[in-house]
Amino acid sequence: MVEVRLEGVTKRFGRVTAVNSVNLVFGDGEFTALLGPSGSGKSTILYLVAGIYKPSEGRIYFGDRDVTDLMPNERNIGLVFQNYALYPHMTVYDNIAFPLKLRRTPPEVIRDKVLEVAKFLHISELLDRYPAQLSGGQQQRVALARALVKEPEVLLLDEPLSNLDALLRIKIRSELKRIQKELGVTAIYVTHDQSEALAMADKVVVINRGVIQQEAPPDTIYNEPRNVFVASFIGSPPSNIFPATMDYTEEPCINLPGGTRHCVEEEYAGVLWRMKPSKVIVGFRPEHAEIVENPVDGRPVIVGEVYTVEPLGRENIVTVASEDIHLKVITPPEVRPEAGELVYVAVERGKLMLFDPQTEINLKYIAREWSQGG
Amino acid sequence: MGEGIGEGGPLVRGTMGIVIILALLLASLPIIMTYSTLVMTSFANTIVSSPWVKFRFTLENWRLFLEGKLAPTAGIVYTPEDILRFILNTGIVAGGVTLVVLAASVTSAYAFSRMNFFMRSGMMKLLILLHAFPGVALIVGVYAIYVFLNNYIPRDYSIYYSFIFVIIARASLEIPMAIWILKGFFDRVPWELEWATIVDGGSRLTALRTAVLPLVKPGIAAVAIFAFLAGWEDLIYVLVFLPPQEKTLATYIESQLGSGSLETTYLPVVAAAGTLYLIPTIIFFVVTQRLLLETMSGGLKG
Ligand SMILES: Nc1ncnc2c1ncn2[C@@H]1O[C@H](COP(=O)(O)OP(=O)(O)OP(=O)(O)O)[C@@H](O)[C@H]1O
Ligand SMILES: [Mg+2]
Repeated sequence: MVEVRLEGVTKRFGRVTAVNSVNLVFGDGEFTALLGPSGSGKSTILYLVAGIYKPSEGRIYFGDRDVTDLMPNERNIGLVFQNYALYPHMTVYDNIAFPLKLRRTPPEVIRDKVLEVAKFLHISELLDRYPAQLSGGQQQRVALARALVKEPEVLLLDEPLSNLDALLRIKIRSELKRIQKELGVTAIYVTHDQSEALAMADKVVVINRGVIQQEAPPDTIYNEPRNVFVASFIGSPPSNIFPATMDYTEEPCINLPGGTRHCVEEEYAGVLWRMKPSKVIVGFRPEHAEIVENPVDGRPVIVGEVYTVEPLGRENIVTVASEDIHLKVITPPEVRPEAGELVYVAVERGKLMLFDPQTEINLKYIAREWSQGG
Repeated sequence: MGEGIGEGGPLVRGTMGIVIILALLLASLPIIMTYSTLVMTSFANTIVSSPWVKFRFTLENWRLFLEGKLAPTAGIVYTPEDILRFILNTGIVAGGVTLVVLAASVTSAYAFSRMNFFMRSGMMKLLILLHAFPGVALIVGVYAIYVFLNNYIPRDYSIYYSFIFVIIARASLEIPMAIWILKGFFDRVPWELEWATIVDGGSRLTALRTAVLPLVKPGIAAVAIFAFLAGWEDLIYVLVFLPPQEKTLATYIESQLGSGSLETTYLPVVAAAGTLYLIPTIIFFVVTQRLLLETMSGGLKG
């Protein structure tokens, strides 16, 4: 359909900068998730694309068309609001037909289109009801139908599933993805639920305080977070993050909490030699570590004392205290150490992440930029 | 709600209910009696002094009243008053006040609710303060404006001027509260509803008309009723600004009961006037009960 491009877009509300010089491309027909904590500027970006807000700086393009100064009604977008925003005083049929009525579409055409989209979304039998008589999932589909009936080039969805129960959410999630792919519409999906973003999106954009943190496919976001924020935001429980000092006597080695040392892998060695930071920020995912009795194989190991054990059925979350740092480790159900027990936390080979303490950027990315830069 | 205080709940509430109804009846008995004697007198051949008196039903008083023959015993040199004209005047003032209040308060309440402008919250507070001023206290100032503007009005138009002035002056007293009430209703309509309309291809005005106004209808109706009653019942502004021959029901009743006229006035006829004067108030109570209970049920998540 059309590609959506934001170039240097900034949006300020008085003294608050909700979105800060954002450059983004939402690929044609792609499903992009905008992921970030509450207040990070996700809805603002969506409303900027919709034209409800005007950017304070920067331009917005739909393909080659500069839409920055166009009103929402000149942009051909479908928007599903966080609270659905169905007209309470209109029936489902009238709600869906409304955008077409505003365009002065002939009544017979309206009828056909409404019935078609209703059938597509399995809400044909609801057309005579009022929104208040619908369940959350049904309302959501009506809102989606209203957005789709005008065949928009860009579909914008603002946390449409946030108020549904977990089961319905997972069901509608796949349905939504299917519809989007079938129509081939460019979709931007706002959520603060990372599993939703990772499961549905072709590309995930992580945003914090109005600044883009990372823009990548879901597995890259998960496996190679660009900075400390992404690492600590994604995952459940999120990554363990702690500072550590470096030692460069023979090769770059990290002094891990509890007194152990780990000499870094090849991919980090080069950049560390060049930067020689005296400290780094270390991170690893709870699911990438295990509790072992003897530290033998050259894996990075941290010595600590078991602090709490949370049994979750399928797995346990063990919190280990080492010096003043608390680390979470996901263990199989049968691994259930006693609180106070001395244990070793061994991190899978290659899963230790290192971040520059100043910029908090993953050293891997810094290394990559250098090698690209020559 | 204090729902279900054990099993005794409904029973306790039942007896309490009866006690409360009895107490309310007792308290309102004097008022009920006054009004019922008024209404009954208007249909009787003599003054009804208590609701239990036997009386003969007649429409004679109403006929006399509507024909303007108010003092049937007064003798020969007597010109009937133009009662229909008075009723029309009352309607014009009440209707005019309603229209002016609605036009001013719907638009400004929308602005107060939706737009950000200089001193917005300060002005909202000022409105409450304005509402606190009694209309009588302002009348000197309002009179000064009346006289000042009157210099520029050609004589032929002076009667229109009086009506328009009374309507606008009386409406101004109602507008501050009306804005407050309506702003509350507008605030409850989510922005997203308007945006949805605009995204779907409508203008801001279309959004106001199709998405917002239907949802604040109860508020508009309430404000309209309050404004209508204010105009209908107003005494002092009409008395001061309309020429003496242009009476409304309120000023007419006042003139009948006022100094000296009581001797010649046939009270059952005035009772008919009083009953007619009451009707909008009664309708108001019947209508508002439903209206105020009517809540905006959602098509919104939650
Ligand atoms: N109309 C507005 N006026 C003033 N400030 C605003 C406005 N809209 C958003 N903001 C501010 O901009 C920032 C970003 O808000 P935004 O609604 O985009 O967050 P969000 O990521 O959608 O959050 P949530 O997940 O809670 O919906 C917040 O600090 C918010 O307070
Ligand atoms: Mg939001």
